[in-house]
Amino acid sequence: MTNNRAKYLFLMPGVIWILAFTLFPLIYSFGLSLTNYRLGRDPKYIGFENYAEILGIGDEKVDKKAVSTASFSAFLFLGSTASTLIFGTFVAWVFNHSLPFLRQMRAIVTMPLFAAPIAVGWLGVVIFNEQSGPINNVLEGLGLGRVNWFIEPMPARLAVMFTDVWQWTPFVFIIILASMQAIPDDLYESARLDTKSNWQLFKSITFPMIAPALGTVMLLRMVESLKIIDIPYSLTRGGPGSVTQTYVYYAYEKGLVGSFQLGEAAALAYLLVIVAIVISSIYFYRVRERFA
Amino acid sequence: MQDNSAALQAPIVKSIPRRRTFGDRIIIGLALICTFIAFSPFGYAILTSLKSEWKSGDIIPFLQFEPDLLNWQQEFGSGGAETMKALRNSSLISLGATLVATTLGTLAGYGLARFKYGVGNRNLVSWFLSQRFLPPVATLIPFVLMFRDLKLLDTLPGMVIVNATFTLPFAVLIMRDYFADLPPEMREAALVDGAGEFTTFMRIALPLARPALVASTLICFAFSWNEFLFASVLANRDWKPYPMLVAGSDTVRGIDFGFVTTRMLIAVTVPVILSLMVQRFIVRGLTFGAVKG
Repeated sequence: MTNNRAKYLFLMPGVIWILAFTLFPLIYSFGLSLTNYRLGRDPKYIGFENYAEILGIGDEKVDKKAVSTASFSAFLFLGSTASTLIFGTFVAWVFNHSLPFLRQMRAIVTMPLFAAPIAVGWLGVVIFNEQSGPINNVLEGLGLGRVNWFIEPMPARLAVMFTDVWQWTPFVFIIILASMQAIPDDLYESARLDTKSNWQLFKSITFPMIAPALGTVMLLRMVESLKIIDIPYSLTRGGPGSVTQTYVYYAYEKGLVGSFQLGEAAALAYLLVIVAIVISSIYFYRVRERFA
Repeated sequence: MQDNSAALQAPIVKSIPRRRTFGDRIIIGLALICTFIAFSPFGYAILTSLKSEWKSGDIIPFLQFEPDLLNWQQEFGSGGAETMKALRNSSLISLGATLVATTLGTLAGYGLARFKYGVGNRNLVSWFLSQRFLPPVATLIPFVLMFRDLKLLDTLPGMVIVNATFTLPFAVLIMRDYFADLPPEMREAALVDGAGEFTTFMRIALPLARPALVASTLICFAFSWNEFLFASVLANRDWKPYPMLVAGSDTVRGIDFGFVTTRMLIAVTVPVILSLMVQRFIVRGLTFGAVKG
């Protein structure tokens, strides 16, 4: 077997798989988004009408639900990304010390990340329960009163966000911890001659050294936060009303539940694909040296 | 299993060297708080699942009840047929997907680590990984129609295809990184001895890559096990995996906390245990190699 033929034999099965099950569906999806296809009806080509309807271009009115669900997704995009970065970095700083039992505790801290998000949503149902949930009991014990997590809009939004943050903080944590551990010790030793303050050390050494990893993690978290659907699906069913419905949840509901408006749903999804492409391009541009 | 324990022990927390002080106690205290926050919801769920009767006025479930296994017995006993079937489905789907993803990922990973391709290896790796960046709904909608036409709805092969597609990027990346770190002389020596490329791969590279193979297998299995969204549309009868049962927990009997937490715990046990076995590979796997673990 010649070297040249062999190298394609290694690569090709994977390439064909991606072509068939990622690239082809993506093109198919774009095609669908240009039709008025509903399950059980013959699709008709309507150009970019679906997009015009969603965005309110021309004489169409903007799709209000697309806007409101997109704004909840934006809320998670900002809130969840920022919170996980801050908490994850803090936890990483705590665990970047050589002290007994930290190794064992570290394994426990990463557990939420690997639980099925759909199950994590149910966990939230139990934890945030208004009558018997531990969170309300603690809040009441502290004299802060009970919160109607599933009835009032803002608490419901926050419940979804907290649950997502709980699940994803370990993600930031393990990655940032790895990058903190790559900082050479002598950097700290020489800096300690000038200052004893932990905060000063963090600001002048740790933070600049982990900044590239933080940037990478931030982009990954942004992409993931746009995909959130399992947690609100089981935690709030998108309610009260649809205030905790994310944009992908809306597209899912539109295309795959009830009236199966596949064409419109594909257009909704495609708008998000464009956002994802932008973020992933930044990601791959940033990490290009790693793949060289 | 030797490789697993090696994987667990590998990362050692690098110290900021100094003596034990008051500050250290604060750090340990903070670490305990973090651990508590991460674990307590699971702990609360465990306690709730051990409680079969809720009386009004029960506020703190673990101070005023006698634990019993009724919920667990029910899940596996009287109502067990559904549970066992879903667990069987989840296992077969995850095993199949893992097998496909790891096989394709190992071959592609080896190719990308050892050869140069015309379009650029970097572009190829990015291309393999870009799948993870797509919002799943975008591919879910065409999958419904494709699967309907191919008669793959609610079948094992259909669900294997879906999950293998999701996990392939992890497998490619983990394997490529590991193969790239193996000394190239080994391969060259084997080639000089007259072995073909494929023999060299099977006899030399693959046995050396066993730790990465284990990691890739476990990560693919865990992620397949957790998949819900595609299953909810593409497999909602005969091949319903366990997360679908979890999702439907309320429609069966209203919200029964003991019942819900039991199912939830069954769902999370498998991937959480697997993840603890591959801590060393997780950082690279999750960042698609952007941060070295």
